[in-house]
Amino acid sequence: MARTRTPLRRFLDYTVLSVLAFVFVLPVLYLILGSFKPSGEVLSGLAGFLPTHLSFDNYKAVLDSFNSDATGYFWRFMGVSLLLSTVVVLGGLIINSMAAYGLARLRWKGQGAVFTLVLLLMLVPFEAVAVPLFYLFNDQRNTIYIQAVPFIANAFSIYQFATFFRAIPPSIEEAARIDGAGPWRTFFAIIVPMSKPVFASVAILTFLTQWGSFLWPVLMVSDPLVRPLPLEMSVFQGQMPVDWGQVLAFGVLLILPVLIVFAFFQRWFVQGVASSAVKG
Amino acid sequence: MTIVNPAPATPAGREPAPTPASAAPRRSGHKNRDRVHGLLMSAPALGGLIAFVGVPFVYAVVLSFYNVRLGSPLPPRFFGLEQYRRIFTDPDMSGPFLRSLLNNLTFAAVVVPVQTGLALALAILLNRKLKAIGLFRSLFFLPVVFPMALVAVIWRLILARGGDGLLNSALNVVSFGNWGAFDWLGDSLTAMASIIVLSVWQGVGFQMVILLAGLQQIPGELYEAAQLDRASAWQQFRHVTLPGIRGTLVFVAMLTSVLSFRVFDQIYILVKGGGLDEDSTRTVMYQAVTTAFDQNNIGQASAITVVFFLVVVALTLIQRRVARTGNED
Amino acid sequence: MNTPSGRSRRTACTALALALPLAALAACGGGSSTDTSAEKGSATITVWAHQGQASEASALQNAVKSFNSSQKNTHVKLTLIPDTDYTKTITATDASKLPDVMEFDGPTMANFVYNKKLASIDDYVSVRTMANATDAIKAQGEIDGKHYGLGMYDSGLGIYGNKKLLDAAGVKYPEGLSDDWTAAEFTAALQALKAKDADGRTLDIQEGNGLATEWGTYGFSPVVWSSGGSLLKDGKAEGALDTPAVVSALKTFQSWKTYVDPNTDGNAFAKGRVALSWVGHWMYPTYSKALGDDLIVLPLPDFGNGPKTGQGSWQWGISAGTKNGKAAGAFLDSLLNDTNVTAMTTANGAPPGTVSVLAKSDLYKQGGPLQLFADQLAKPCGDSRIGTSCVAVTRPVTAGYPTVTAKFSQALSDVYGGADPETALAKAARAIDQDFSDNDGYQLP
Repeated sequence: MARTRTPLRRFLDYTVLSVLAFVFVLPVLYLILGSFKPSGEVLSGLAGFLPTHLSFDNYKAVLDSFNSDATGYFWRFMGVSLLLSTVVVLGGLIINSMAAYGLARLRWKGQGAVFTLVLLLMLVPFEAVAVPLFYLFNDQRNTIYIQAVPFIANAFSIYQFATFFRAIPPSIEEAARIDGAGPWRTFFAIIVPMSKPVFASVAILTFLTQWGSFLWPVLMVSDPLVRPLPLEMSVFQGQMPVDWGQVLAFGVLLILPVLIVFAFFQRWFVQGVASSAVKG
Repeated sequence: MTIVNPAPATPAGREPAPTPASAAPRRSGHKNRDRVHGLLMSAPALGGLIAFVGVPFVYAVVLSFYNVRLGSPLPPRFFGLEQYRRIFTDPDMSGPFLRSLLNNLTFAAVVVPVQTGLALALAILLNRKLKAIGLFRSLFFLPVVFPMALVAVIWRLILARGGDGLLNSALNVVSFGNWGAFDWLGDSLTAMASIIVLSVWQGVGFQMVILLAGLQQIPGELYEAAQLDRASAWQQFRHVTLPGIRGTLVFVAMLTSVLSFRVFDQIYILVKGGGLDEDSTRTVMYQAVTTAFDQNNIGQASAITVVFFLVVVALTLIQRRVARTGNED
Repeated sequence: MNTPSGRSRRTACTALALALPLAALAACGGGSSTDTSAEKGSATITVWAHQGQASEASALQNAVKSFNSSQKNTHVKLTLIPDTDYTKTITATDASKLPDVMEFDGPTMANFVYNKKLASIDDYVSVRTMANATDAIKAQGEIDGKHYGLGMYDSGLGIYGNKKLLDAAGVKYPEGLSDDWTAAEFTAALQALKAKDADGRTLDIQEGNGLATEWGTYGFSPVVWSSGGSLLKDGKAEGALDTPAVVSALKTFQSWKTYVDPNTDGNAFAKGRVALSWVGHWMYPTYSKALGDDLIVLPLPDFGNGPKTGQGSWQWGISAGTKNGKAAGAFLDSLLNDTNVTAMTTANGAPPGTVSVLAKSDLYKQGGPLQLFADQLAKPCGDSRIGTSCVAVTRPVTAGYPTVTAKFSQALSDVYGGADPETALAKAARAIDQDFSDNDGYQLP
């Protein structure tokens, strides 16, 4: 559809796109504006949409209101979320890419069967094992590691890596082998550096999923000292009396790290998502 | 937001490899060595998958045949198919579960066509060589990076009952003051619709990007040829665009249907603290979690989980079948 | 976290380290920050409490602070947990992982005793503290002669009335428990008020809380008790909850819906849109501020078996696995002293749970504005001897309470929504009995 267009058509295109984009961005605007408004103005209909005056009071209040071991600390929620995301993303990149290499590029007896098993496990969404996991690991409630460890190994990531690795010409490994490199060195010194795109897209998808993770923390976390941000978000907005300005400020702080990552790696985001679906 | 059964990224500028078998020819001397290394390399991930996916899943099946309560001093008791009988056929107890299945089907029946259609429309709009098109793509994609916990809160405020909610207030202005307060989330007629709207808002950018990538793979010559044949815009869409992205479209539709069966976060948050009407929005996952966590009934929750899994597998298998026939075109 | 949790965590980490070396390194390394080990020679008592309103949370935090500054060797570490998740958090937490001291909602106590999560507090709290607890509070915390919990405050239900609106409609209302109105008189009052009301909606029952919730059970099981029924009798709901008397009482309740203001903004009574509000003590601060001298407090209507009210609230107990029972008992003694109980009940307006504070309370003393609630609590029924002469009924003391409240409140909500009371109650009774038989009747060990 990439054809040259008349100025009129172009004007129409921009109009349609702008209107649609405005509707789409409205909730985001509402969030950001609301976070700077006095709380009374957040829920005051259309008239209160544009704020009368803006301030950082809500942000200050959010950072100040969590101030003891009994309630938790805002930076601690943030720290927990960052720690969990880092562990799951980095751990996942390492062990899943290794597994993919071992399964996709090394030839050994039983390799096909194991890879089929991975594909089968890919069929099981996390939701389908949440209840038994909750029951099995019940005595590990309120720990950091039970929030992270189940999500490091990921069948879908293995599958993504494996398909990428399989497309690498065998001649590259042959050359390494002739130079005397074993599979580990071949993998870390040659394969990994040339596979940046797949590492980026796996990292981004894993990060997005982990950062917003909610179901598992709901089941496993009650201690505010190990509570991740999204769970605290739902707790905070359910606490009476609710201060909506502060809730929205909390929301902006929750999304900020993702927006920063998004701004810097936008291309990878889109490419990562797209490549997760489109063949070839 | 998790991805189901996707196809992979390929190294830039390279053709996809032939079959795995021919990818890495080896002499037999390497085989034993490779086996040790292959196992070692895959061991950490395999161990994790078996421990946190395989074993729990088998365990769910086992638990579903037992009467087992969280924290109960009584030992688990074998129950046979009783849990399944209760959630499907018991006149007193099957109600909420069957309702949750129905709600899930309603959700999917609306979301799949609407979200796929909207995503396609957006993708076509955005598949143009215009200045700042990248900015527009980012704007539509933006909600995808929002955690559902936040999306639920934003929409809860927009849909707030009373005249002070943004939507009610806007409708009031548009209708010259004839629109009163309406409880969008709490009314059983609009509760599900509200959930659908906020879910589509959050998710459509994801499908849009996939479809956009699909559109960009349609060779430009096809459109040029169509134009030479004086095909109208609709004819081009019908005979070039649609066949060109058929596989992608089927994939997106199936992906959306699987995702729509996994809906949980927004329902849970809005029922527990947002005045969302529970009965008309409970989903299968909501039912599983509340049965396990609110009622401590692990056995029944496991049975629900198993049913959930079977539905997802059925959808995935249909997806595979359809996608395969789609690709043969 | 206390010692056993640390140990099993290490075991898990070791196991993990064997299976997933990198993951274990990252996860166990990062997670250790949550362990706070006590100083040598002194005890740390961990305490869980429900978060409650902001004023309650700060009253509690102050109580902890003052306890900590008064003690040399004991340090209390408080954790506040959101109300909606509180009960399930305790249920889901393994007994060995529970804190030394925890708060719990009154009716859930039996379940935690059954699950071996609570220890009897008789050996730990002082005789003086126990003696100072009101009878209703003691009754709520007792199972088979042993006490498992004591509360800083109790609760009570009534109908708040707007004197000006009632007088304007010419409605006669009761002075106290002795001349309580019957359900028929109450219906007549609603009708009279309706005639004078702009939208015809003159009653608030806090519909916004939802009826399929603990509010439904707490707020409206008095209808069942007052009609001569009960939620559970000898471990069975059939024959107690679904009797013709209860069915007819719920039919009357159902008929009131046309008079009820949906009260979506929570201000129906305070703003004078309705003349009557069926709710608990906790609305008193708001209502008295809004109405001043026009506010009156009335008992719930009598369905034949005398007026009834709910009773019971949050209690404090000691977990079965505690190693610091003595220190935990000392903390409870401190929580239940006059200073802390006064501070807490000032914060939330609840009837004090101790004799000494109750006697001094301006709200609840004889002649005080909330004397009715104190009078009701002075006539406790317990959970099973629900006769005509007693008023304050304890919700069923059974480990199966979670099911009882879930099924009853669902039935109530269905009836309010228009379902046939007979069918709904029979269904609830069958579901409760089924659950009890699945659990061998929840026999306490």
